[in-house]
Amino acid sequence: MQAMQVREQFALAFTALALGIGLWLAPDIAAAHIIQSGAAGFGSGFVHPLTGPDHFLAMFAVGLWGAQMGGRRIWTLPVTFPLIMVAGGVAGILGLPLSGVEIGIALSIVSLGLAIAFAWRPAESVAICLIAVFAICHGYAHGAELPRADDPADFAVGFVLATGMIHLFGIGVGLGLGKPLGGHLARGLGALIGVTGIYFLVSAFSAV
Amino acid sequence: MAVLGLAAIAAAALLPGLRESPLGRWTLMETLAPARVLPLIGLGAAFGLLAGRAFIAALLLFGIGIVIGMVAEDQLLWALDSVPRAATDLFMTGPISYLAAGAALVASKKWRSIVALAAAIIVGAMQALIIKLTDPSLHEPVFTWTPVLIAGWMVVSVSLSLRAFRREWFIVAGRILGSWLIAIGLLYGGVSLAPKRGLLVPPSPGLVEPPDSTPFPGDDRRLPGMDRSQD
Repeated sequence: MQAMQVREQFALAFTALALGIGLWLAPDIAAAHIIQSGAAGFGSGFVHPLTGPDHFLAMFAVGLWGAQMGGRRIWTLPVTFPLIMVAGGVAGILGLPLSGVEIGIALSIVSLGLAIAFAWRPAESVAICLIAVFAICHGYAHGAELPRADDPADFAVGFVLATGMIHLFGIGVGLGLGKPLGGHLARGLGALIGVTGIYFLVSAFSAV
Repeated sequence: MAVLGLAAIAAAALLPGLRESPLGRWTLMETLAPARVLPLIGLGAAFGLLAGRAFIAALLLFGIGIVIGMVAEDQLLWALDSVPRAATDLFMTGPISYLAAGAALVASKKWRSIVALAAAIIVGAMQALIIKLTDPSLHEPVFTWTPVLIAGWMVVSVSLSLRAFRREWFIVAGRILGSWLIAIGLLYGGVSLAPKRGLLVPPSPGLVEPPDSTPFPGDDRRLPGMDRSQD
């Protein structure tokens, strides 16, 4: 019983510490997550998802959630995400109207964070449908920026590679944190992601 | 083989004599550009997942695909030109390479061999077209054979390396890589086919003011002594 309390306190302390660091870093990093000029190629595309905390957290959470659920879902979620993201990306490239994208991105972080925090294990099809909705929002936001890049092809290559690597990082962290402390570390991380998502949600609503 | 090839590329990148030569510079900037290399790595990974006979056949078909691309360049370009705006970005050869290599990786066990064999010809032919279209020398043989050798080296060394260290999880990793390649191919193709937005368009003739209406547009101040309109 005492060991359980220590574990929960540790998970809470870890969550609070990471939350503080996340909120401290978020505004500065978020400001850099826009293609400032036309000069954008592979390097710029690769760095783009890594320096945008909203995109990074969502991609990381997809990998982490898949690893937490286990089985086929470890790879079906990260495989589905980029394929559906393309649909949103092409809509963004063509300039088709889609409202509430930023709110959708923030909601994706909140939902995925909460799913991990409560160790929610839905049917694979339900998880994929949820991921698909969020993937369209993320894809649209980045697709709209693609034609502004100097070398859109290289930008797309770097961008998708980095996104996939964040998925893999999330899977690795999820598998690593799955066993120690009965999975509480992974759940604490999910709670942190969810709270950070609320910050993005408030920012998105205040920007409307 | 993989190490020898990497050593040759490192030498081309580090030795000033090689790096500054037209062939060395073109190889580093074009042939080894990330967008060119990735479908070849993907195809090599797909070949690495094939069984013995299918693996040999896939390598042969990749070579045949390169020959087809070299020999039937005009016919292939004519066919690819039927896609609107295809000519603006190497006739869509890049996106097609990505989609074919990605499909070979994500295909189920039942379809893997067939899709990989088809992808071998398609990617081979597309690589040959890219080599022809980006050749800065206008038919200097060394500018044709160097990228062909590099493409062959990449596919063979990646596939042989995977076969040497084969693990069960390679299939799952291959599917993840394949989904990335398909995503890149669709985004790349989408950007190539979509008209560029936000470009400056010249105004229509009816909206242009006559050239002699104002000598200095936006500034209608006149010095009193120079104002002849009241004379």
